Amino acid sequence: MRRLDVREHLPSILVATLSAAFGVALLQVTGMLAVLVAADDVTGSSETVQVVLGIIALVFIAIAVYVGAIVTANTFSTIIAGRIRTIALLRLIGSSAAAQRRAVAGEGLRVGVIGAVAGAVVGTLVTVLIVRIGVATSLVPDLRFDYAPPIVALPIAAVVLTTWLASWVGSRRVLRVSPIEATGTAQEESLDESAGHRARNVIAVVLLVVGGGILALAVVVGLVNPVAVLIGVVGGLFSFTGFVLGAHLVMPRVLRLVGRAFGSSAPARLAAENAVRYPERSTRTTIGLVIGVTLITMFAVAVASYQQMIREAQEAQPDVYQGIDQVLLATVAVFSILMGFSALIAAVGMVNNLSLSVVQRTRELGLLRALGFTARQVRRMILVESASLTIAAVLVGLVLGTFYGWVGAQSLLGAISGSPGVVAPTVPAALLVIVVVAAALLTVAASVTPARRATRVAPVAALARD
Amino acid sequence: MTTSTDTLVARVEGLGKTYGTAGTSIAALRDVTLGINRGEFTAIMGPSGSGKSTLMHIMAGLDSVSSGRVWLGTTEITNLADDALTILRRRRVGFVFQSFNLVPTLDVEGNIVLPFELDGRRPSADERAWIDQLVTSLGLGTRLRHRPHELSGGQQQRVAIARALATRPDLVFADEPTGNLDSRSSREVLALLATASREYGQSIAMVTHDPIAASYADRIVFLADGAVVRDLARSSAEEISAFMLGMERA
Repeated sequence: MRRLDVREHLPSILVATLSAAFGVALLQVTGMLAVLVAADDVTGSSETVQVVLGIIALVFIAIAVYVGAIVTANTFSTIIAGRIRTIALLRLIGSSAAAQRRAVAGEGLRVGVIGAVAGAVVGTLVTVLIVRIGVATSLVPDLRFDYAPPIVALPIAAVVLTTWLASWVGSRRVLRVSPIEATGTAQEESLDESAGHRARNVIAVVLLVVGGGILALAVVVGLVNPVAVLIGVVGGLFSFTGFVLGAHLVMPRVLRLVGRAFGSSAPARLAAENAVRYPERSTRTTIGLVIGVTLITMFAVAVASYQQMIREAQEAQPDVYQGIDQVLLATVAVFSILMGFSALIAAVGMVNNLSLSVVQRTRELGLLRALGFTARQVRRMILVESASLTIAAVLVGLVLGTFYGWVGAQSLLGAISGSPGVVAPTVPAALLVIVVVAAALLTVAASVTPARRATRVAPVAALARD
Repeated sequence: MTTSTDTLVARVEGLGKTYGTAGTSIAALRDVTLGINRGEFTAIMGPSGSGKSTLMHIMAGLDSVSSGRVWLGTTEITNLADDALTILRRRRVGFVFQSFNLVPTLDVEGNIVLPFELDGRRPSADERAWIDQLVTSLGLGTRLRHRPHELSGGQQQRVAIARALATRPDLVFADEPTGNLDSRSSREVLALLATASREYGQSIAMVTHDPIAASYADRIVFLADGAVVRDLARSSAEEISAFMLGMERA
C-alpha cells in the first residue's frame, strides 16, 4: 500500500476536518439549544423546536459536506494529473489501471478518516469553548449538556464516505493513463476536449432548460400561493446541477473576459492564458467557490427582497406586520454565518488547487525564468491568475445567487397579503462589499504560497531532461 | 586560438563547481578555463557526467559557481544578483533546449516575441523585419497562429531557434538541440544553426554528445570528468567519433 503523502493530502484533510468539525459542532450546539429550550419554563418542552433546529442544522451540514466533496474530488483530480508519469510507470511494470485507482481511493478513505476524526475533536473543542464562554458570561445556565449525542456520528460518517467517494470520482483519469506515457518526454498535454463531452453537455442543457422552466413556474404560482417555493427548490436543484455539469463551457469564457481586464503585459497575458488553458482544471478550481458565493448571494438577496416585500406590505397593512424586523435580522445573521462556512471550505479548495497547479508547472516556470521572467514578474503572473479565478467565480456566483434568491423570495412571498406582485431583486450593498473584500483577501491568500513556490523554481529546472 | 577579450563572447576562468555537502560532494567542474569566440559555432562535447551541461548552465547565468569567474562579453556575471542575471538572460542570451520548451499557452508568434514582451516592449520596426526574415527562412510563415502541440518536433525546434535568434543575443546556448528529433529534422536544425552563425555572425554554444551534430560546428571542445581535455577546429563526424572512442579507452 502506498504510504500516505500527508503534505500532498493536507488540503483535503483540512477540508474534511472543516466539514466534520462544522457538522459536529453545529449538532452539539443545536442539541444544547434544545436542552435550553426544554429547561425554559415559558416555552416548555417543545418537541417541535428541537426537530426544526435539527432539520435546519442538517441542511447546512449537507451543504457543507456537498461543497467539501466537490472540492475534494477536484483536489484529487489535480493530484492525479501531477502523478501521471508515476502511474504510467507502474502500469508499464505491470500494475492494472483498476488497481491503481483502488490505491488512490484507499488514500481517499484514509484522508476521510483522518479528517473526520480530527474534525470531531476540533468541533467538540469549539462547542466546549462556546459553552464555557456562555456560562462564564452567565448567558447560558450551567446545565448538563450531552457532548456526544448519537446524531453527531452522522456528519462524521458522511465526511468519511463523501471523501472516499470524492477520491474515487476524482481518480477517473487514472483509467486513461497509458503505460507509454512513462517513456515520453514531459510534453504538456493539450486538453481542449471540453467540447467532446457531448452526452454530458446535452444533459446539462436539458437540466438547465427544465430547471429554468420550473423556476419560471414557481414565480408565477408564487403570485397566488406561497407553496410555490417548494416548486422553486426543485427547479433550483435541476438548473444548478445542470450548471455544475456544464460549467466547463461557461467558466473558461468568463475567465477569458476577466483576463482581458488585466491588460496586455506579458505576465497578465500569460496568467489569463494559464487560467483558460485547461478548461477542466480551471472549472474544477472555481466551481467550489461559485457554489459558495451562489449560496451566500442567494440567501442575502432572498432575505433583502423578502424584507423589501414585507416593507411594502407593511406600508399597506401596518398592523399585520409588527415586530417582524428583529426576527428577520437575527435569522439573517445566523444563517449568513452558517452559509459562510461552506464558502470557507470552497475557498480552501481554491487555494489548494492553485498551489497544486503551480507545483505541476515547475518546468514551464523554469523556462520563463530562463528566458528572462524576473521573480517579480512570476509573482505577478500567479497573482493575476489567482485574481482571474476568484473574480470569475465571484461574478458567476453573484449572478446565479441573485437570480435564485429572487426566485426564492418571489415564489414564497408573491402572494402575501398586501404584496406588490412581481418586484425587482434587491441586492444588498453590504453583501457586495463583503463579497468584494472577501474575494480580494482570497486572491492574495490563494497566491501567496504558490507564488513563493514559483519564484523558488530555478531556471535550470527548464533544462532538466525529464 | 585568440584570447583577447573583444573576440570572446563568453569566458570562464578557473571555474570549479561542486554539488552536495562536505562529506558527499561531487566535483562537476574542476578548474576550467575556456573562451567562446564571437561569431563562431562552438560545440561542447563529452560523455554523460563530464560536466558539459553544468558548464553551459553557469555560462548562461542559470547556475552559481563554487570557484572561479564567469564573463559574458565584458560583463562579469560571477556574482550578479538574480534580477540582474534575469535581465541579462532576457536581453543577451538565447536558449534552444532539447525538449523544445515552448510556452504551451502561446502560439508560434507569441513564443517568438516573448523575450521582447518580458522586457515590456514591442519589437521595433527593425526587429520586426528581422523576425519576419527569420520566420520566412525557418519556414514558419504559415504556422504563426498554431500552438506548440499542433507542430511536429522539428517545427517546434525551429520556433525555439527563431525565439533564440529574435533578440540578436550575444550568445545562443543550445542544449542537445537534436536530442528529441529524427535524423532528418536533426540535420535541418543543425544546418539552420550553422547558417545563423555563418551568415548572421551569431555566436552559438551547443552542448551535445552526438558526433554528427558536433561536425556542424566551427570548433569542438571536449570535456571529461569536469575538465577540458581537447580543443579541436572543425572536424568530420568520423574524426570526432574516433577521438571520443580514444577517450573511452584512455
